[in-house]
Amino acid sequence: MEISVKNIVITGVTAGLCLPLALFAIILVPIPGLPAASGFWIPAGFYFVMTLWFGVWGALGGHIATTLAMGYFFGYTLQVWADGGLGDFIAPLVCFTIFKIAKANPELKTRRDYVVWIVAVLISSLVCGLWVHTVNLLFGVITWPFWWIGVLTYFIGDSLAVLIVGTPLLKTLTEYVKASPMYVWGEQ
Amino acid sequence: MSRTFFIHVEEKSPLLRLHPLLKITSLLAINLLAWIIDSPVVLLCAIVAVFLSFKIFKVPLARIGKFIVFAVLIVQAVMVSYILGSTIPGNMVYYRFPWGTYISDMTLVYAFTMAAKFLLMLWGSTLLLAVMRDIDIVYGLVSMRLPYYLAFTVNLAFRLSTVFMEDYAKVRDAMILRGTNFSEKSLVQRARNYVRLGTPLMVLAIRRMFEMTNALIIKGFEPGRSRTYLYDFSLTIKDKVISFLLVAAVVLAFLLKTFYGLLTFPGWPFNG
Repeated sequence: MEISVKNIVITGVTAGLCLPLALFAIILVPIPGLPAASGFWIPAGFYFVMTLWFGVWGALGGHIATTLAMGYFFGYTLQVWADGGLGDFIAPLVCFTIFKIAKANPELKTRRDYVVWIVAVLISSLVCGLWVHTVNLLFGVITWPFWWIGVLTYFIGDSLAVLIVGTPLLKTLTEYVKASPMYVWGEQ
Repeated sequence: MSRTFFIHVEEKSPLLRLHPLLKITSLLAINLLAWIIDSPVVLLCAIVAVFLSFKIFKVPLARIGKFIVFAVLIVQAVMVSYILGSTIPGNMVYYRFPWGTYISDMTLVYAFTMAAKFLLMLWGSTLLLAVMRDIDIVYGLVSMRLPYYLAFTVNLAFRLSTVFMEDYAKVRDAMILRGTNFSEKSLVQRARNYVRLGTPLMVLAIRRMFEMTNALIIKGFEPGRSRTYLYDFSLTIKDKVISFLLVAAVVLAFLLKTFYGLLTFPGWPFNG
């Protein structure tokens, strides 16, 4: 795969936008007992939407933002931010794949588009909640009784943020983004 | 004073003049050491050393004050997780919970150890980030033989994060001037107002993408092409010695822990 200037800019801008939002989310809604967890993961709303518009580069931006926010800004040890960053890379890609398979329209024009969007967000949040907290458990960062709390809060925190923040963004801005040369829906 | 990504640092700070490769390597070394070391006493000594480094390298110690909220969040998360949800055997059990977990003397030592790991990385990284500039990210990553476009992307993320923080403040002020009340008593209404901030922020981000892509193409930026550099950062003997010591410290810590049982939990003086 050849990397173009627009791919690099999409990744850098998505990461730059999501980085302060990630810090904001962890400070505003921390979850007791779970390092780096937030009850309302605001940046997810942005990088899920960026992934639907710009493909894997949007997800990569989310991954860089989470990794930098949890690592160098927030002070979590290597395995926590590597794990969280990877989870935030997988989640939007799972959503993107479901969206593509179902051939839904990111402009959310029909009831079917809305159903696919909601189901895709719920599945991707659950898959990644399981991934992130199982890895955290294996490295001894969290304890077993907090595993299911972690999975549940990840699922709720991510899904809520993506649905509340992402839905109006898709609804209002997809048409504007579609008119730009950055849009990738037809390419991938 | 010299402007870095986040603050102004004295020109004569030895850390500021460090080779970019060494700044990045030091960040990685601190991360890895905080991960490898499990002995609470060694971790505490390392944290004290980081504090002293702020003074020695003339980096404003007030910088740490801004991270107090982060430190509190980290410590509470670790403490709650271990105090309510662990079964670590110790010499004395203080309390047993109905769901089967208990607090022993070792639970407290272990929770302290985990918190110390996080704090070492937080403050160690803060020390190095305080002296980090655009050129350090780009030249540091390129010196590690990583492709230029990757260094450029990471640098873009750092640079734009501060730009978007300013954008956020501007959009918020503009909305307040148009009558939005961000201190509404209703939590739902307040949340809705914050969600509405997202659309203008996203429009700014997309516009910035178009402008930046066009500007880079016009300037002849091509990801796969070899390029020349404005600055020449060659490694001196001193730089090479420091890099060797950093790598050696990480390798030594790993060997001591794996083969000699040193730096492991609980370590001296808790291992009886």
